[in-house]
Amino acid sequence: MNLQRFGAWGAILVGAVYFLVPLIGTLEFSLRMRRDGYSLDAYRSVFSDSQFHQTFGYSMLMALLTIVFGMLLVVPTAYWVRLRLPQMRQVVEFITLLPLVIPAIVIVFGYLRMYNSSSILPLTGSVTGTNILLVLSYITLSLPYMYRAVDTAMRAIDVRTLTEAAESLGAGWGTILFRCIFPNVMSGVLSGAFITLAIVMGEFTMAALLNRPAFGPYLQLVGANKAYEPSALAVIAFAITWLSMGLLNLATRFSKIAPARA
Amino acid sequence: MSTVSTPIAATNPALDKDRMVDWLGIAPFMIFAVLFLIAPTLYLVVGAFFTPDGALTFRNIADLFTPGILSAYWISIRVSVASALGGALIGFFLAWAVVLGGLPTWVRSGLLTFSGVASNFAGVPLAFAFLATLGRTGLVTVLLRDIFGFNLYGTGFNLLSFLGLTITYMYFQIPLMVLILTPALDGMKKEWREAAEVLGASNRQYWTMVALPILWPSLLGTALLLFANAFGAIATAFALTGSSLNIVPILLYAQIRGDVLHNANLGYAIALGMIVITGVSNILYLMLRMRAERWQK
Amino acid sequence: MSFLTLQNIQKSFGPVQVVHNFDMAIEKGEFVSFLGPSGCGKTTILRMIAGFEKPSGGTLTIAGKDQRPLKPNQRNIGMVFQAYALFPNMTVHDNVAFGLKVAGKAKAEIDARVKEMLALIRLDHLADRFPYQMSGGQQQRVALARALAVKPQLLLLDEPLSALDAKIRVSLREEIRLIQQKLGITTVFVTHDQEEALSISDRIVVMNAGKADQIGTPFEIYNAPATRFVASFVGTLNIIEAKVVDPAANRVSIGNQDVTLKQPLTGFKAGDTVSLALRPEAGSLAQSAPGDTALTGKVVSAHFLGSVIRTRMDVGGVTISFDMFNSPGTTPPQAGDIVTLRFQAADLLLIRD
Repeated sequence: MNLQRFGAWGAILVGAVYFLVPLIGTLEFSLRMRRDGYSLDAYRSVFSDSQFHQTFGYSMLMALLTIVFGMLLVVPTAYWVRLRLPQMRQVVEFITLLPLVIPAIVIVFGYLRMYNSSSILPLTGSVTGTNILLVLSYITLSLPYMYRAVDTAMRAIDVRTLTEAAESLGAGWGTILFRCIFPNVMSGVLSGAFITLAIVMGEFTMAALLNRPAFGPYLQLVGANKAYEPSALAVIAFAITWLSMGLLNLATRFSKIAPARA
Repeated sequence: MSTVSTPIAATNPALDKDRMVDWLGIAPFMIFAVLFLIAPTLYLVVGAFFTPDGALTFRNIADLFTPGILSAYWISIRVSVASALGGALIGFFLAWAVVLGGLPTWVRSGLLTFSGVASNFAGVPLAFAFLATLGRTGLVTVLLRDIFGFNLYGTGFNLLSFLGLTITYMYFQIPLMVLILTPALDGMKKEWREAAEVLGASNRQYWTMVALPILWPSLLGTALLLFANAFGAIATAFALTGSSLNIVPILLYAQIRGDVLHNANLGYAIALGMIVITGVSNILYLMLRMRAERWQK
Repeated sequence: MSFLTLQNIQKSFGPVQVVHNFDMAIEKGEFVSFLGPSGCGKTTILRMIAGFEKPSGGTLTIAGKDQRPLKPNQRNIGMVFQAYALFPNMTVHDNVAFGLKVAGKAKAEIDARVKEMLALIRLDHLADRFPYQMSGGQQQRVALARALAVKPQLLLLDEPLSALDAKIRVSLREEIRLIQQKLGITTVFVTHDQEEALSISDRIVVMNAGKADQIGTPFEIYNAPATRFVASFVGTLNIIEAKVVDPAANRVSIGNQDVTLKQPLTGFKAGDTVSLALRPEAGSLAQSAPGDTALTGKVVSAHFLGSVIRTRMDVGGVTISFDMFNSPGTTPPQAGDIVTLRFQAADLLLIRD
């Protein structure tokens, strides 16, 4: 029994070293820019780079659009499948898991071939079209996570009874969906949103191959050309991921309290 | 009020209309999935079997087996297998430690929270983190040199290599394993252990005859998922090694960017190869997972 | 010396003492039930016998041998769990064979023993099934066979019927008792279901808050409960508050009527309040019913429960419920009816605690 606990602590210790050392290394490296000691120069350099602001803002906007349009697609679908088409559940779930099977680079390769300027739907022919395509590609990438988060939340609230109650009170479909369903699956929507935010902010492949000025390709560019700034950016990126996951945890925790209040 | 369609519905015109509405409800999703997920993939899959002029051919598939492309597949598979097995093994011990090791609960919640973050901390920043740690001027490299007089790079180690990439990938592989395996270990009923014990089994016999046989579908299944996860990843490798390490996603990236193979349809074949490999491992994963869940009911 | 002895057993989890100074001696071949509500310590005692918990104090012997230094896998005990606990990765055959395999028995011997065990539980035809392919009742029978296959010196049953449907529960408990008697194996059975304990046991231990309130045969436990707890926990029971009228003559008043008890009222004086227990099935409304005592009151409610009609009546402010068998020829009493309940004074038990 004692040996077991000893082994357990040993495993945790090895894990902790492996996980924490790169973080410490990155932090340390990001502070090394000045020869004579630690400084925040690398961060200063990053924050004063106008490209940082532009690409960061661009990716944030893309993330926001992805979340909004993704949820407009996912929530009604998950709702409808639960309510009216339970026999389609496995099919829909299978489709939402496909982005985990098909590598992102393959999907974007397909986009470039199908939606090039000489096709019927020449999305890559214009800047706006390419931006739209990028958002759509992000929706695809986050589909497994968004759908799962929303569907889990819907399972918890029994959408059928809620719908029938609303219908019996004379509510129309729009009212039901936006006044009854959306607010009640908010925790799922939020946790889906935050994981989407984390994915989109760090995404590289789609944006690079669609040639859009997003944060991921910017990171890669800085990495190829500068010494200390990449570490500072890695620290920032880690902070963003941590923040997204923290908010996600908060959202799920909120969902556990919510039914008691309702 | 309308309800779910029943077999009787087919004979009733009013309910037939309801059924149409039912199907219309998921039409947006289906259209989206076809246009931006299925069709682009099928486009490449089909394209792999045609020449640029539109003639049916198996030439592209055959060309995958030329040394340059084959070696890219080979190193991709090696990195993916190594990082998946390493991640599975270490992840298993971590999950075991927090579920069955008798550790305080804060260790468990700490590890799970961190795993949630680290499993999403991939891509370009992860490469930066490892460059800052194990790169030529990274913290660990420098500390080993200055304190222990040990020249890490003198041993032939290179972060921009198979080993370096494997160690880096494990940073998101291990947490993923922890996240999937912790519930599986939680599902191991205490009574199974007690039943085995009371029937005279030793700790070792319990693990070899009961626990591991129950866990192996989850373990192997998750390892397959990790494999597919690593196989499709590109950003980390790209930021880490530029295009110096010839893994499949980087080869495909270069092909998309500049048609380095001088044959667009050969690019389709490479994509097809990737889909086949990740697809097979995911199907195996799902099968094993179904098996694991069947037992855990 | 008894086969299984527990002497002055105590168990604490941190500051909470869950078993207090528990003494019990169980004879070879006996079927003993531990009955009590959840948290009364019955399962903890069972787990101490199995070796999963170490007693904080006291001694525990099986066949004269001190069990305290032995691990669970050295005690040669068979155990059946509430949630079946069959190994999900093994067939029925392999589950039953597990203990024998672990002990390193020869394959031919194992196969013969498994066959014998499956015949005993009448599941020979399901040897190749996996646990998830079977019903709960079947799984629990396999668990029983698995526990018995190693020829344990003692069989422990930890609420083995609680997870099952009502019908299966009854048939399986009969089956368990038959098998136990056939093999003559000493058995300890833990349950919170009084009907289960009454129907199956040689002796019952009624547990309450870590102590044994009463140890006795089912007949004794049901008909002569030693404490108020035993009286209320075993069977449904009227607890009637009565006033002592004349201690010398054993007369008390219930509501507005006097009755004479058979038990002496020593230690009480006139005006004291005493608690009396009366089983709902002890009385009858029929004019011809035998009985030396009667109470007259107004029917408050009558609930038709199928074979019985449970009626509540008010006797000068005291509510008494009683059961009468349904008979198609007679109409059940209606609320508001004035009725007279006849019973034997001996059935009115004085509860001292």
